[in-house]
Amino acid sequence: MSNQRQASSASQTPHLSPAELSYLYTSLSLPRAPIRPDGRSPTQFRPLSAESNILPGTNGSARIGFADGTQAIVGVKAEVERTNLATDTLASQSDVNDSEEHQGSAAVSGHGSWVQMSIEIPGFRDDDALPVFLSEMMRESLVGSVTEGSGKADAADAAEMAGGLKGRLVINKRWHWRLYIDVLLLSQPLSYPLPLLSLTTHLALLSTKLPKLKSQGEEDPFFDDDWAVAEYLYPRISSQKTKLPSQYVRPPVTLLVISVGENVIFDPNREEIAVADAVLAISLTRDSEAGSLKLLSIRTIDPPSRLTQPAVPNSENVNMLGAPAPTEDIAVLNPVTGEEEVPGVWRPRRGGIKRSVIANMVQTVLKKGGVGEDVLEGLEGVEVE
Amino acid sequence: MNDRRRVNGPPGGTRPPVYASLLETGTGAGDRSQRQRQPAELRKICMHDDNLSAPAYQTNLWHFRTSVLKTGLIPSASGSSYLEFEPSASLTAARANPKSLIPPSSALKLACTVHGPKPLPRSAAFSPNLVLTTHVKYAPFAARKRKGHVRDSSERDLGVHLETALRGAIIAERWPKSGLDITITILEAEDDRWWGDAPDSHDASWGMMNVLAGCISAASAAIADAHIDCLDLVAGGVAALVSNDSTNSSSSAPRLMLDADPAEHRSIVSACVVAYMPARDEITELWLKGDSSKASLAAGDQRTGHEALIDGAVDAARGAYTVLAEAVRESLQRAFDQS
Repeated sequence: MSNQRQASSASQTPHLSPAELSYLYTSLSLPRAPIRPDGRSPTQFRPLSAESNILPGTNGSARIGFADGTQAIVGVKAEVERTNLATDTLASQSDVNDSEEHQGSAAVSGHGSWVQMSIEIPGFRDDDALPVFLSEMMRESLVGSVTEGSGKADAADAAEMAGGLKGRLVINKRWHWRLYIDVLLLSQPLSYPLPLLSLTTHLALLSTKLPKLKSQGEEDPFFDDDWAVAEYLYPRISSQKTKLPSQYVRPPVTLLVISVGENVIFDPNREEIAVADAVLAISLTRDSEAGSLKLLSIRTIDPPSRLTQPAVPNSENVNMLGAPAPTEDIAVLNPVTGEEEVPGVWRPRRGGIKRSVIANMVQTVLKKGGVGEDVLEGLEGVEVE
Repeated sequence: MNDRRRVNGPPGGTRPPVYASLLETGTGAGDRSQRQRQPAELRKICMHDDNLSAPAYQTNLWHFRTSVLKTGLIPSASGSSYLEFEPSASLTAARANPKSLIPPSSALKLACTVHGPKPLPRSAAFSPNLVLTTHVKYAPFAARKRKGHVRDSSERDLGVHLETALRGAIIAERWPKSGLDITITILEAEDDRWWGDAPDSHDASWGMMNVLAGCISAASAAIADAHIDCLDLVAGGVAALVSNDSTNSSSSAPRLMLDADPAEHRSIVSACVVAYMPARDEITELWLKGDSSKASLAAGDQRTGHEALIDGAVDAARGAYTVLAEAVRESLQRAFDQS
């Protein structure tokens, strides 16, 4: 347990022998045609079952289960809260002449702390590094997904989603919504749980509804008690006759990408991530203006391959002294990692990632018709009724 | 019998008064400090050593001035370092000639200690590699808003980032069954934005990214001071896309700045931290956030926004590396002198 906690960012230390690791690495790093243990293609996700709006007590909820039995449930709750106009800022006092422009800009464009996220993973305390790291990672892309500038609305109807999610939470200058996103992983994390949690959160946010506001302007908020007329937090395209590209803001999704050799592999399972050269979490969303995908954040995740046990080549093995030296036991330079390695003998990874590898991974995610678009389209297709 | 009851301070904290006269622009005290450096110029970190001659740094590409990266200050630790960034010009001016009780910006100061390698406790599971634990803590007085004594989520997050950055550089299999504790205390943190600004749509903890870059460099120096084998010194660097002007913020695209101080800019659109090993040209830790798609790069620059941002951060890390190498040289010199 203590070992697991210390190796927090890497999720788990893999329990594979050096020989198994080496075998996996070799098959995953075959040039241009990696062979994955479960036969998927490099960009293929594990089969999953998804449903949304499963919890009647929440504003929005979703459940996703992977075929290996890991399941996550996300519930989104919204509360109305009084906006605490910060007294220590000058914005409302300093510029008297253009006070309309600047007055309490927090109250206009929203604040990142209005979205709270908590992740519960069995076997981890909620202040362990892994849940904290995961929730910060997902929250930062969520509140960071700003469409344009500082809430500059060209048309009045585009103002709805002008500040991204944060802007949507503003009711008026004195009141705002506070969003609680509670993520529950139901099973032991068999693999690094990021893709599962991120997809489930995305789905739950898509299904989130807020009650329709009846009060106007700066009045104290007053809502329609008919749940049937409640509005989606992220407006649904299908419910509107005209397509409004300027409002087409979607929640972000965070993808887990690993690189093994020259290959870029998506949605790794536990064994695959154990031999990864580099692990990146890439958050993206749909760019409302360009219609393409937009990068929101990148984080490196500590690859568990650094924690593995090294193997000993026969030439260095004391038990093999006197035995004829095998001919294949010669160290060669691995062109990707720049390390001397004996083929078939596992060495834990050292060092970092080359910039070209990062660029390649991001490119694979973001390119047109790439994995990112596939995932977003697939999630959009989940019935939200 | 004297009164032993504890008298608690005010629960909400107190703030220095802000007088209306200070807020009129032009007096200097209520103004946002302006960036005096070139876009590609870093803040100075330098050896605080009177014996060393200054010209060695002045001829450097990065014009260093007296701020501090010093190793071996804490004798009980096996390695330690202290890092201090140069205060911005306005902060220096405000300290010399205070007009307001509120400092216009802050400068990073942090101390790092390394304990170990030491045997793991008996209860711990076997580990074939060095087990690294990182612990980043803001001092309660480090930021404008008081931090609690218990680490909050942002501090834990920083700890994970730091761990990722260092684990790639340390050659861990040379110390099986051992542990290494790295503790960083941040004495003065960077601001997330100018203190007079209300949080706007781009608000995020940008100061944290500068802090992380400082943590990486300082921890790297402390690890070298503890004589622990590494592939290379890891240096931290930050680059940011900032949009500065208030008048027509929509027309001008954000520009790339190395080592941006959030207090000097109206809004930061996107920022990136890297931990970089120059000898291998590898990145051990990358943390990029914000919308980098609208960067205005030089004409003919084919890179996308995030690539430019990463390259900028790597350049900043290269600058920090020169100071780092010098600090490690000094640390070795001291070790030789003692032996």
